[in-house]
Amino acid sequence: MMPDVCATDIAIIGAGPAGMAAAVRLAKVGHRPVVFDMNATPGGQIYRQLSELQVSEAVMGKDYARGRELIDAFQRADIDYRPGTRVWWADNDALGTSLGVLEKGQTQHWQARQLILAGGAMERGWPFRGWQLPGVMNAGAAQILLKQGALVPATPPVLAGTGPLLYLLAWQYLRAGIPPSLILDTAPATRYGEVVRQSRRAWFARSYLFKGARMIGALKRAGVPIHQGITTLEAQGDKAVESIGYRHRGQWKTHSTELLLTHFGVTPEPQLARSLGLTHHWHASQQSFVPQRDDTLAVGANLWIAGDGGGIGGAINAEREGQLAALAVLDKIGQGDPEWQRERHALLKARRRDLEARSLLESMFRLPEAWLDDQPEETLVCRCESVSRGELDRAIAQGGAGPNQLKAFTRCGMGPCQGRQCGESVTRLLARRLGWTPEAVGYYHIRPPVHSITLGELATKE
Amino acid sequence: MPVRHVQIWLDGTPHQVPETLTVAAAVLQLRGWQGYRRHVDGSPRAPLCMMGVCQECLITIDGRANRQGCLEPVAEGMRIERQGGSVHDA
Amino acid sequence: MAQRDFLIVGGGVVGMAVAYGLARAGLSVTVLDESDDALRASRGNAGLVWVQGKGVGMPRYAELSFEAAKAWADFARELTERTGIDLEYEQRGGVDLCLDAEEARSRQQEYTTLQNASSFLTQEFRWEYLDRKALTPYLPGLGEAVQGGTWSPHDGQCNPLYLLRALYAASHSLGVDTHPASAVERLEATASGFRATTPRGHFEADRVILAAGLGARTLAPMLGLSDAVHPVRGQVLVTERRPPGARLPTPQIRQTASGGYLIGDTHEDAGLDKGVTLAMMQTLADKAVRIYPDLGEARLVRSWGALRVMTPDGNPLYEASTTHPGAYNINCHSGITLAAFHAGGLSDAIRDDRLAQSFPQFSGARFHVPAT
Ligand SMILES: Cc1cc2nc3c(=O)[nH]c(=O)nc-3n(C[C@H](O)[C@H](O)[C@H](O)COP(=O)(O)OP(=O)(O)OC[C@H]3O[C@@H](n4cnc5c(N)ncnc54)[C@H](O)[C@@H]3O)c2cc1C
Ligand SMILES: Cc1cc2nc3c(=O)[nH]c(=O)nc-3n(C[C@H](O)[C@H](O)[C@H](O)COP(=O)(O)OP(=O)(O)OC[C@H]3O[C@@H](n4cnc5c(N)ncnc54)[C@H](O)[C@@H]3O)c2cc1C
Ligand code: FES
Repeated sequence: MMPDVCATDIAIIGAGPAGMAAAVRLAKVGHRPVVFDMNATPGGQIYRQLSELQVSEAVMGKDYARGRELIDAFQRADIDYRPGTRVWWADNDALGTSLGVLEKGQTQHWQARQLILAGGAMERGWPFRGWQLPGVMNAGAAQILLKQGALVPATPPVLAGTGPLLYLLAWQYLRAGIPPSLILDTAPATRYGEVVRQSRRAWFARSYLFKGARMIGALKRAGVPIHQGITTLEAQGDKAVESIGYRHRGQWKTHSTELLLTHFGVTPEPQLARSLGLTHHWHASQQSFVPQRDDTLAVGANLWIAGDGGGIGGAINAEREGQLAALAVLDKIGQGDPEWQRERHALLKARRRDLEARSLLESMFRLPEAWLDDQPEETLVCRCESVSRGELDRAIAQGGAGPNQLKAFTRCGMGPCQGRQCGESVTRLLARRLGWTPEAVGYYHIRPPVHSITLGELATKE
Repeated sequence: MPVRHVQIWLDGTPHQVPETLTVAAAVLQLRGWQGYRRHVDGSPRAPLCMMGVCQECLITIDGRANRQGCLEPVAEGMRIERQGGSVHDA
Repeated sequence: MAQRDFLIVGGGVVGMAVAYGLARAGLSVTVLDESDDALRASRGNAGLVWVQGKGVGMPRYAELSFEAAKAWADFARELTERTGIDLEYEQRGGVDLCLDAEEARSRQQEYTTLQNASSFLTQEFRWEYLDRKALTPYLPGLGEAVQGGTWSPHDGQCNPLYLLRALYAASHSLGVDTHPASAVERLEATASGFRATTPRGHFEADRVILAAGLGARTLAPMLGLSDAVHPVRGQVLVTERRPPGARLPTPQIRQTASGGYLIGDTHEDAGLDKGVTLAMMQTLADKAVRIYPDLGEARLVRSWGALRVMTPDGNPLYEASTTHPGAYNINCHSGITLAAFHAGGLSDAIRDDRLAQSFPQFSGARFHVPAT
């Protein structure tokens, strides 16, 4: 017995800034979109738990509190919001997109005529020796603990990697009274030169830059050591992290800690877009694949991607893209209004500036392309299947000349995370070994389930 | 910011935890990273992403093994068992 | 460098098994393959080394399957010795399940006919129909909904991906060169052999073997060979790793060496679409839980669709071109089972240029009977 199909005119996947803004904009003209989101409360990554705040604004900073307005609007509007739902399957169909949705152990089949993907981003998987040890965690994950219940580490952590989120968390820990014992930045100290070299962009990025400078200033004043130009990192320990090792200015150093929080930037969450077979291209400045969108953010006849899932633009940009996608949907279904031209232009202009500002940040926080090459043989690339860099190189030499061939040869990417953590590392490694571009190398074939589902949940109940 | 607490059982012991936490967050708060779980290759592992991406937070919830602890909110009376946690001397 | 002895078009399990067989015999071989995202049955199959039921309507095929299955253990050992790769091969017998009484009846009839089809089969083919209860020792935890199944000791399983990898590794060690992302656009005879044209240049050799799976549809006619293959899609689900058990493999479901259950066996006409469908995934999940109810708790970690390379009668296609001597076409839908034979008897026949004489039943001519 097939479950009944639930139909909707407009569905949105994700209740982060992009998804919420799209839903609110659509509700404003009388639509009632269905919004699926895995989390229990709205907000997405940045505004997680803001609707039932657990930690003070003084700790989190203004950017977090700013989401309140959007969340309020989202909660007030007449929207068919479905928290705690996971979209585990999506496919094009004759009418639009079919979705497999899991809610409380039941799978539902949805049919959406228009679909906005607003699934956001994830922290990049970036292999280094020992990163599988308990006590190595993503910085964003640590921030989630903070947001969920004001949880902070018992002992001062080390923060390592690069990117705005790394410093934001360091600053938030400082405000919470537990400053990091050390910050290790993989970006070279010379990066501030970019501000001078790209002065026009720096102007657009001035608020980001000031914010960053303020945070770094506060950390330095509090005596937190910040080392830049870190070229090697490793976590050491038996059952959990006991210490870390790193190379700074050519010198190998160690430091004892129980907690290493790393951040190597964020990349679009690829699974739904990939499983829909959307075209992706390599974004050289963001150093990752992004789905190919047109000016209206469309990626298909009845399909749009808004927010960080389409390329990293940050929360405010995500909100704008949500509105833009909503306007595009309205146009598509013949309910556009010439009045909105101005709104659209303003959004587009602000978006252009914001993305320019971003590209400055991207060059300031650029990741070392050769990182994986310099890893020792035993560094795990695929954590799920425990496949090391050395094993991948052996398989490449044997004829594993593509991500899918390599997956077949080594099981790399076959585990439950479905390659989210290793996919781009594999592309990068192959690109360097074969001398091809990342685009020519390509990516894993992604098939459902893009979220975990049991056979019992999938089987139709008779 | 008053927050309701719920009672959960972790490896057989009762605990009060804020109801806004997910299972993984509660376990990290109560026990830390060490001893969270053992991977199929035998190595010790613990949550990495806390947002449903990495599958490192697998844990037994109400008798069902391999649940993603970072996606499941805690609930009153919930029974949580770490997988391989007992063989660690955590 | 002197011109190579062989060009093989297609780096799937068929092309690589033949490449390995020829290289082992001392011949020089170049393999041309498409890019990473090409249709490739060899990466999407179930990994059964399976004999029962093969060759219904063509006893010679059943005999080849037996030959292959018998050679498999040595074949696997040899590849492991050469490459260090464990193919996870085992032959403990297998069961083809019957989910209802009608299926049980027709299956038994089919096998009885097959067994009587040749004296070889009468002597060699061992099988038994077992009802649910009798199957339980072989398949602990078998669900109530299963009617029974045919058990046979000849069946086994391997990791087909490691087979492919081992064939690559062993071939490389024997001097075979493989060229990925080199899709052959044109094949033609030259004064001294054959030439293949690819976006990465020309390749030449004395003889050429088409092992291009569905690619034969465009390439085979260029050399007077049969293009009679069509895609039949199969969808497969794989669960997370489960504790290892003693359950024998079945074509419907088997536990792999790494612990995951592989659930498959759909046959669909979907053109060249290798996707998966919700309806079929649900059907497979249903079936799996009916067979082993304890799998209801198992998480699905992967699914895929793959296209079988099917001939009109389902039997292999082994042919030598009559218009282009030195050109061969090799196609089959059980390339895992037959791998040991492809690397052995079949490669020998190609090396000695006696394919048509040794395996006349398998020529493509059977699909191209001139209208009378
Ligand atoms: C861990 C983390 C922390 C971050 N913290 C900050 C921060 O503090 N400050 C900042 O400026 N930026 C932060 N960012 C960057 C952040 O990506 C953006 O600023 C912003 O959240 C992007 O908004 P969005 O709407 O595009 O996506 P998101 O906010 O990521 O929202 C996407 C939503 O979609 C849901 N979703 C995704 N896939 C599915 C599915 N298949 N089924 C159901 N629901 C699904 C997710 O659960 C999520 O709620 C963070 C990013 C990460 C990964
Ligand atoms: C779902 C499913 C389950 C199966 N289960 C089993 C099983 O349990 N046991 C078993 O024995 N068999 C099984 N099979 C069948 C088995 O997988 C195939 O018989 C075998 O893989 C065929 O191998 P191949 O090399 O001929 O084809 P393919 O693997 O398709 O390889 C053909 C190769 O040719 C290349 N090619 C095509 N055109 C060109 C060109 N123009 N230039 C260069 N290269 C080209 C392709 O890129 C490809 O690499 C199954 C098949 C499927 C789909
Ligand atoms: S911690 Fe990554 S999926 Fe739960």
